[in-house]
Amino acid sequence: MTREPSPDAGPPTRAADLRLAGEWLARHDLAGARPTPLLASRLVVRRQARLAAHVILGVLIIASALASVAFLGPQPQHPLQLPALTVVVAGLLLAQSLLDWWVRRVDQRAGATLSRRAAHLIQPGWRAVLGRPYAVFTVATFAGAMALTGSALAVPDPTVRRPAVVLLIGMLGATAIFALQLRHLLRHPVVAEDEESLTADVIMRVEDARVLATPNVQWSLPMVLLFGTAPGWWSAASVAYLLLGLVAFIALNTRTPSSATVARQAMSNR
Amino acid sequence: MIIIDAASPVPPFEQLRAQLARQIQDRTLAVGARLPTIRHLAADLGLAVNTVGRAYRELEEAGLIETRGRAGSFVSAAGEEGRERVRRAAADYAAVVAGVGIDAGEAIRIVQAALTSRGAAPTPS
Repeated sequence: MTREPSPDAGPPTRAADLRLAGEWLARHDLAGARPTPLLASRLVVRRQARLAAHVILGVLIIASALASVAFLGPQPQHPLQLPALTVVVAGLLLAQSLLDWWVRRVDQRAGATLSRRAAHLIQPGWRAVLGRPYAVFTVATFAGAMALTGSALAVPDPTVRRPAVVLLIGMLGATAIFALQLRHLLRHPVVAEDEESLTADVIMRVEDARVLATPNVQWSLPMVLLFGTAPGWWSAASVAYLLLGLVAFIALNTRTPSSATVARQAMSNR
Repeated sequence: MIIIDAASPVPPFEQLRAQLARQIQDRTLAVGARLPTIRHLAADLGLAVNTVGRAYRELEEAGLIETRGRAGSFVSAAGEEGRERVRRAAADYAAVVAGVGIDAGEAIRIVQAALTSRGAAPTPS
């Protein structure tokens, strides 16, 4: 049962959004549950936020590539390129923070329309949401990308070292963005009115965590910036890193239980 | 799981306190379990921080939870220990009653009189 929406509760839920919410429930073995405006609005905002987060990472890759191109040659032609890239990375971090704030705000407004509110007493932590296999994979992926960055920085050739500096800035930015997203995922308030919507909330978090664990910048940035200009051993190492990561990622996706199963396990433990 | 119903005539802080107390007493929440922070639970349930704070304070006064500074609030063992002491005392009392030869009805009336003479329910130690 819901209260009258508050004045700032946003536009009424569209039929298409409710239909998508119904499909989402069916996909997660919750076909018996009724798609509510609360769930529909939360799913819509998550879809948009996910798209925007991908755009942010795309901008990071393009900005890094542009900074790297400006650095090619024996002498840096644009000494302001590195500070400019740093400013871009800081701007992207701010954009990510604003994106997270926007998701929280939409959730808060949706929650304000509920007459009943439900919450966990034992919060699902990173083990329940991300899961140990995905956590290990994520750490290994970031560590591998950082190792490639470090080894490129150790090459005395300036045509390799300069893009490696750009790569380092890009990777630090990507790591910071990841940390921000994960923190938001684990700490933003629950919006639920009963056990069903509480389960849906956990499923959303598990889904978001898995999308977050999917490597993008870690895999693409070293290739974009250094492949071809770095020594042969570095290129071989980067290809091996990519192929190993890909195999591990496929294995992870095929062998781990679905997000709905993980969410139900997490709910049964609380 | 905790559910707060805004339409209920029972104040939200009392709904929260009662549900937490019940879950601690029936061991749904184990001794030593860490409770969410006041701020976090308030955000999850759409309540004011003071409302959750009041429920936590009353649970702490009842000996059901304990706050360890910045580490947070935990389900206390005190309530459990208190209950165990009462159970042991009851067993001792039953042995005395059997030894003296008083019937069970009278023994219960003696206990009731003792509890009534204390006024309020005994606080957990």
